[in-house]
This record gives sequence, C-alpha cells and structure tokens, in this order.
Amino acid sequence: MEYDLRAMDREIKLIEESVRRLRELGGGIEVVEKNADSILAFTYLLKRNISDVLE
Amino acid sequence: MELTEKNRRYWNPIIETLPKERLQQIELKRFRELLRWAKESSPFYKRKLRGIEPEDIQTMEDVAKVPMTEKDELRAAQEGKEPYLYGDLLAVPLEKLSVFHQTSGTTGRPVYFPDTYESWQWVVEVWCYILYGAGFRPQDRLFLPFAYNVYIAFWQGHYAAEKLGCEVVPGGALDTQGRIQKAKEVRATALMNTPTYGLHLAEVAKEMGIDPRRDLEIRKMICAGEPMPEPTRLRMEELWGADVYDHIGGTEVGGWGGMCTEKKGRHVIEPHYLLEMVDLETMSKPVPPGTKGVTVITPLCRRCIPLIRFNLKDVMLVMEKPCPCGRTSIRVDEIEGRVDDLRKIRGVFFTPAVVEEVIRSQFPEVTEFETILTQEGVMPVLTLRVEFDPSIGESQWKELRGRIRERLKIRSNLTFEIDVVKPGGLPRYTLKSARFKDLRKR
Repeated sequence: MEYDLRAMDREIKLIEESVRRLRELGGGIEVVEKNADSILAFTYLLKRNISDVLE
Repeated sequence: MELTEKNRRYWNPIIETLPKERLQQIELKRFRELLRWAKESSPFYKRKLRGIEPEDIQTMEDVAKVPMTEKDELRAAQEGKEPYLYGDLLAVPLEKLSVFHQTSGTTGRPVYFPDTYESWQWVVEVWCYILYGAGFRPQDRLFLPFAYNVYIAFWQGHYAAEKLGCEVVPGGALDTQGRIQKAKEVRATALMNTPTYGLHLAEVAKEMGIDPRRDLEIRKMICAGEPMPEPTRLRMEELWGADVYDHIGGTEVGGWGGMCTEKKGRHVIEPHYLLEMVDLETMSKPVPPGTKGVTVITPLCRRCIPLIRFNLKDVMLVMEKPCPCGRTSIRVDEIEGRVDDLRKIRGVFFTPAVVEEVIRSQFPEVTEFETILTQEGVMPVLTLRVEFDPSIGESQWKELRGRIRERLKIRSNLTFEIDVVKPGGLPRYTLKSARFKDLRKR
C-alpha cells in the first residue's frame, strides 16, 4: 500500500478525540455542539473511507 | 505526498483499487455491525432478526441466512405506527433527524426516509464516488434543471457536486424553456437530469432554435431517477454532443452504482454497499456473474433507518470482466426491467424495457411513446402509441408504423398494434416515467 494508512488513522482518531473534548468544554452551547457534531459526521466518513481498510 | 496520475482518476484510490477479497472482508464486517445495530435500535429488525446473530455471518454465503427486506414490509412498519411518519423503522431518536425524503409512491403508498446529519453525509459521500468516477471535477459548472421536491436523487447529486467543488446552479423554479435559457446564460458545462427529461430538454431546445450540440456548452451529463437503456444513453450523447453517464440508486438505499468514464457498466460503490444477485425463479439462490438475477442490496453505513438485504426487484446481471479503469468493484449491466413489470403474454415473457431499447436505438423519428396492455376477450393486446417528430409528414407514417411493428416483433416475439398520436399528445415526464400501462382487469 503506497499510503501510510496507520498514520492517517491515527490523525483521524486524534481529530475525533479533540472534537469530543471541545464538545464537552462547550457545556451544551449550541454553536459548539452542532458544529462539533458536523465535524464528527465527517470523521465518521474518514473512518469508513480510510481506517476501515486497515486489517 | 504527491498524487500520482493514476490515482487522480479515483475519488478514493485506497478503497477503489482494493483486491476483491479485501473488499468482501470489509463488507462482511460491516454487515455484522449493521445487524448488531439494527437488532439493538430498530423495532422492525428486532422482530425480523430474532434468532439471527451477527456472529453467524462469517462468509458471503452466510449472508443469505438473513431474510430479505421487501418494500411492502417497510410500508407496513410505518403505517399507523409511532413515532409518526417513520414508525418501527427508525433507529435513532426523532430529534436527531435533519433531512426528509420519500419514495415516489409509483408502486403504492410512499415510504418515508429521513436521515441524520451523519447518515445524510454518508449518502452524499457515496454520490461523490459516482460523480468523480464519471469525470465531474471542480472546473464543472453543473446545472440541475429540476425542482428537487421530496425526492432524494437530485438533492444527493447537488450536495455531492458541491462537495466535489463543482459550481452548482439549481434550475428548479423555471419552466423548460427558462431552464434552457439559464443553462445557456451561465454557460453550464454539465447537466444532471432524468433520461426522459434530457430528451425532452433537447426537443424543446430545438423548437426554440437552439441546437444543444452547437449552442450550449454541456459536455457531461449524469442521469438519475429512472433506468437508462444503452440506446437511450447513446441517443442522448448524439443529441447533446456530451458524455452521458448513468447511475443507479433509490430513496431507500441511496445511489449505489455509477458509470466510470469507460461507460461500460455501472460500478457498485463497494464496500459501502453489499450487492447480491438472486435467481429470478426461486428468489433465493445466488446467481453467478453473467447470469440475469434480481438485485438485493445492503447499504452498510446508513444507520438512521438500517436496511438489510433490500430486494430492489430490478433485473440485471453482474459483468464478468474487470473494468479497464482499474476499479476492482463489482460492475453491473443496465437494468433490464423490474420483476413487477414482467408479464407473460401469449406464452412469452415481456418486459417494457425492450420497447424502449428498439425505439431509442432504431427510430430517431419517435419523440415519445407508451405501451398499453389491454385485454380483448381472452387475448391480451399490446398497443404502442407513438409520437413522431413534427418534421415527419403523414405520408411517412404508414411505412414507419410497419417498420416499428416488424422490429418489435423480431425483438420481443410479440405483435403490437401501432397508434400514431399527434405531436405533444403523449405525457412528458420529469422524474419517473410511466411508459407502460397494464389496463387489464386483475
């Protein structure tokens, strides 16, 4: 495989963790919560498109 | 890291060139995860999947242990059930929903399909594979000559094109002439429409003195909303002077396959979908590539309303040879018809798709047509109503009628009555066309 999938997967997980932390820090503020949820929808796609390929 | 020329062809070179075996492994793993999710979260599947455990599914053959899901079951699971509209199918809390769509209701009461923000993004993502595979790029100015309404196809296409970086021009609140003017004004380079409407647009453009090949800049077109036989696709290419691509999808499952720039079959968007082909007679035995079967599909990552082994009732076949484009996914040929439309007439199996194939490939004089099946005594009667291009004089009608009758007889083994209708006399469709009407009493 010509791409470093493990490194990509690590970064995806880091983004996800970071967004989840941000969501908690927001304490229910709509602007944080909804934008964080939007980002999580895209990390979900990155996981389906990249991370799932890892054995 | 620099993107190679080869990988530039793919939306996702990592997945689109994976060995088949690896694709299947991912699909099986996702299938088990979906089963688990559905059993936990969907009241409908909690009942339907009783006694089936995700761990029972270890091979592709095991998938057939899970019962298929039929459209009628979806209707029954929604009708009169709470929460209102979605009933037992919904697998997430109502407040998580952000998008609403419904089926067209052509075959019965519509089924309602919502999405969460996340599941909608997945639906859009699979369309990105379709559009990118068909050569759509950020340089394209894409015109959508439709009011999208509550139907999913053009919403998916719109959002996917936007995500790809195309410039999207919606043309909903205009009539057909206004849409042609707008496409000309903005110098649209790409178009997304139903095959039927693509033909109609070209017809109206000509009436306006606009030659789509010469006066418009549309060089790429993707079709949605209804099946497109190869002769229809070629006719569209001829009329528009554009590369025309087909895609396959539906409200229940999203867009699950599309043509690449080779234009030979439609690639299934694996491993986002699991495709099965089952035998036409038994509706259970798997059929090998190259043999016609009924399509059964599972969208593997849409969790809002999970669907497992959904029977699409479309008849098609899996192509045997690998595609020169390098994608390793399964390819399917065009939809040959729907199981529901198959009729046995005078001992012969008839599907209305053969009429479209003959008309579009051999009779450019025909602008519109419909097939009517009636009964006279014990005899079923097939009538083809045709509308000729206004440039065809009445003196030519007799010869044309005879030739159409003869070609249809050769192709279908059935005799047709041919009625000529005055120009504009047959209905025009924008979304799903209904060119076959069985008017016999059941």
